[in-house]
Amino acid sequence: MMVELLLLIQRRSSIVFRVTFILSVVLRFMRLAYLIGYGVEIEKSPVNSASLSMLSWPKPATWPSIPPDSSAEVMAKEKTILQAKAREKLFDIQRKPLPLEPSSLLREANRRRAFLSVGNLSELYDSVDGSGLGAHSKLSPNKSSSNLMTRTMSGPATSETSLPVDRPMRLSEIHVAAEHALKQTISDPDFMTSLSSPEEFESRYMELTKGAADNYHRSWWKRHGVVLDGEIAAIFFKHGNYDLAAKSYEKVCALYSAEGWEELLADVLPDLAECQKILKDEAGYLASCVKLLSLESSLFSSKERQAFQSEVVRLAHSEMRHPVPLDVSSLITFAGNPAPPLELCDGDPGTLSVAVWSGFPDDITLESLSLRLSAFSSADEGLKAIRSTDARVLVPGRNIITFDIPPQKPGSYVLGALTGQIGKLSFRSHGFSQDGPVDTDEFMSFEKPTRPVLKVRKPRALVDITPAVSSALLMNELQWIGLIVKPIDYSLKGGILHIDAGAELKIEESQMIEIESYRSDGEHSSPIDASKVLSRPTDTGRVEKVPIENGKIKLPDWASDVTTLVWFPVRAINDTVPKGTSPASPQKHSIVDGMRMIALKLEFGAFHNQIFERTIAVHFTNPFHVSTRVVDKCNDGTLLLQVILHSEVKATLHVKDVSLDLQAGFEHLGKGDGRPTSSLFPLVIAPSSKAGILFVIRLSGTKDLDELEQADSMLHIKYGISGDRATGAHSPVPVKPDDSEELLFKISLKLKRPVLDPCLAVGFLPFSTDCLRVGQLVNMKWRVERLKDLEEASLSDDEILYQVDANPQNWMVAGRKSGHISFSEAQGSRIEIAVTCVPLVSGYVHPPQLGLPDVGDANISCNPAGPHLVCVLPPTLSTSYCIPA
Amino acid sequence: MASTACFVIVSKNDIPIYEAEVGSAPKKEDLAYHHQFILHAALDVVQDLAWTTNAMFLRSVDRFNDLVVSVYVTAGHTRFMLLHDSRSEDGIKSFFQEVHELYIKIFLNPLYLPGSRIASSHFDTKVRALARKYLYIRGIY
Repeated sequence: MMVELLLLIQRRSSIVFRVTFILSVVLRFMRLAYLIGYGVEIEKSPVNSASLSMLSWPKPATWPSIPPDSSAEVMAKEKTILQAKAREKLFDIQRKPLPLEPSSLLREANRRRAFLSVGNLSELYDSVDGSGLGAHSKLSPNKSSSNLMTRTMSGPATSETSLPVDRPMRLSEIHVAAEHALKQTISDPDFMTSLSSPEEFESRYMELTKGAADNYHRSWWKRHGVVLDGEIAAIFFKHGNYDLAAKSYEKVCALYSAEGWEELLADVLPDLAECQKILKDEAGYLASCVKLLSLESSLFSSKERQAFQSEVVRLAHSEMRHPVPLDVSSLITFAGNPAPPLELCDGDPGTLSVAVWSGFPDDITLESLSLRLSAFSSADEGLKAIRSTDARVLVPGRNIITFDIPPQKPGSYVLGALTGQIGKLSFRSHGFSQDGPVDTDEFMSFEKPTRPVLKVRKPRALVDITPAVSSALLMNELQWIGLIVKPIDYSLKGGILHIDAGAELKIEESQMIEIESYRSDGEHSSPIDASKVLSRPTDTGRVEKVPIENGKIKLPDWASDVTTLVWFPVRAINDTVPKGTSPASPQKHSIVDGMRMIALKLEFGAFHNQIFERTIAVHFTNPFHVSTRVVDKCNDGTLLLQVILHSEVKATLHVKDVSLDLQAGFEHLGKGDGRPTSSLFPLVIAPSSKAGILFVIRLSGTKDLDELEQADSMLHIKYGISGDRATGAHSPVPVKPDDSEELLFKISLKLKRPVLDPCLAVGFLPFSTDCLRVGQLVNMKWRVERLKDLEEASLSDDEILYQVDANPQNWMVAGRKSGHISFSEAQGSRIEIAVTCVPLVSGYVHPPQLGLPDVGDANISCNPAGPHLVCVLPPTLSTSYCIPA
Repeated sequence: MASTACFVIVSKNDIPIYEAEVGSAPKKEDLAYHHQFILHAALDVVQDLAWTTNAMFLRSVDRFNDLVVSVYVTAGHTRFMLLHDSRSEDGIKSFFQEVHELYIKIFLNPLYLPGSRIASSHFDTKVRALARKYLYIRGIY
């Protein structure tokens, strides 16, 4: 039978079922080897054990008896059995010896000897050891003893070969008996040689196994094939052919590792590691150690695991010829916090804590540990690694490691890789564990963990600073400027506000800055409302005074998260004296004049890395805008000068006193103290309203025109102000305690003397008749009056030229149209000029005009003289021309 | 009687996601990975057999002396493998069907990641109870 099977093998069929035959042949062959005592040479691998322990032993009707004169052979076998030792595995892995030669051989062999009853045998063994032959079936708690037991049973000190009838055969005797019996039955010489010595057996065994493995691989039964590869590797290993052994072991490990059968892997991997150690394949050896460590901890004892670790540490600290980065993804895993990702603002550093699980059985000391973050949605992997400043010892299990993150670009970041160094060995882990079992699904495992651990927001406004005043402040006075500092979901802790006043603006540093909490009424309504409704410090609001140094204010801690109002005193400087306006000299008022710029810079953030800069414009103004006009000019040369005060601020002004220093060429009438005629002080001027003050002045008799042009009148206004600083202008900040609240405002007014005085007045006298009719004569009369003494040279003549202009189509002038008329030079002299005219058309027509060509229009008052249009009636009907019908 | 029985669920990626020694015989640690060994090798047979039939229950696919490997393949190609020495095919079939229902319940759990190890102790208890019910020959229990 055996020969047939061997022939079958040699055909090397690739069909699976034949391969299965090959395997069974291999097993049967091995069984034979065990039968004749070569078993100790065979690697006790799982496949052998699994196969052999369950493959039935040959069951001949009667077990062959020991041939005579075989004591030497028995002794030899005895010796090999005794000398056989389980190979010591690396790392002191204590595996229980597999039951390769189960006691069933002993039992079967002895049972088949007709004269021994099974019952007696059991009793015999039980009496020896207490566990006995029935170890398999008797549910012995000491499961490992069966093998040892058979060994001890096989080697007692008795050396006699002639067995007494009642003594069971020993194992060595069974081997010898079986060998003799086999040699008699086997006819194939080839097969005989295979069984002749252990070496021959092994080469044949190798040949068969290789054939089977190859055929399994060819028929895609890779698992079966790989199992046989392991057997081949074991033989290579035994013969010191470590290179080939490692290659075969690698194949086995690769399959088990890929399919995740860790128990099987745990059995083969130490062998591979041992090969690699012998071959000085440091990289492979380290990788195997790491893999061993990352297997389920229940598969190895803690002592074994510690041995793995110490190997890794030993290698890491030794000089490696080719230092290689070690992938520890399965051993050291890491994950971000289960909490929402850390959110940072652009430019902010932060600390990220990462949970790192160490699979090492003991604490492991790291030289360094750094973490790579990779951007979530971009291929930009070239981010700098973040080093941890934390402790360098990883305890077994979960460690929380904090990493300081320098400012990053905006975006989302996921954990990239963890790198570090143990001794001189740099390692790298890509292992993500998402707070739970490592996901093993094929599809999922190639995806990056989608949960970002760090979000760096796009640059956004973190704080807003707006001026709190909506209207103009007082020029040249110390005024509070309010700044609303509003953090936008960002702490301003430790913030420093730099205030840089621009030109013509001075910050009064002797004063304290007031910081108060701020609540806008419109904060919960729409933003439009919020801008309208102005802030009002709440009663419960906190107020703190802080100093200002070199334009810097340190924000107090309580103000870091709430909207605050920062008040600081400034004085806008404007040295030019303001000027009033009059109808004669209207002045363009430019709003830019009162603008002052304040540059603000707020440094905040954990490392003052955030900077907010803004320039705000604040409007300053004078309290009053003054305009003048002459209300009335009396005949006696008295002028009523009305001074109108326009309030420019949104605050109530109390005018307490006003005095006017008149320029040369004018003088006050009355008391002459420059006060207005009526005493109505204090005068209260509501915001944006006007008040008028009347002065009675007259021209004084100077004739020096140059002097008149240069000097201005000065109006001094003493006033007080009551306003809210949140609204605008308000009472100035008292620098000294005794500063009165009375303010003085000076404004220059330019009064102009009347340039032209009319010296003649022309009046149109009423018509003598009620109505004008076409064709009827009418007298037109003008009266010319001399108003004052003529001084101009042109009018020095006492005769005056007159001229009547009339439209010849409408009027016929009867008499002289122009002529000279004598006119006295004395003031108040008057003459009448009369011209007779006939209206020619009816309707509203322009009347004739009297012109005085020698006298300029400016010297004539009431010019043009006379009505604009007159009504001319049609002529009355003449009856003499009527012909009766 | 079923003194030895080893039940393994193998995911579609050939990774064992659940293992249990459900035999009534006391667990032999040395033999635990013999069982794994046999079951793992039997995957080779299953990969061929699974496509030859529409049935989920493949009956016994492999035989290792007195031990038999019975396999049940779900629609998602998850394989339930039982290494046993009993011959009660009906019981094994019922066992597989009930375990399949349990497995589907596990699968429906939103927190369970398909393909990962089944760590539910509830599942474990249920499977062992089913094994007692179907695999052990009445008479012991």
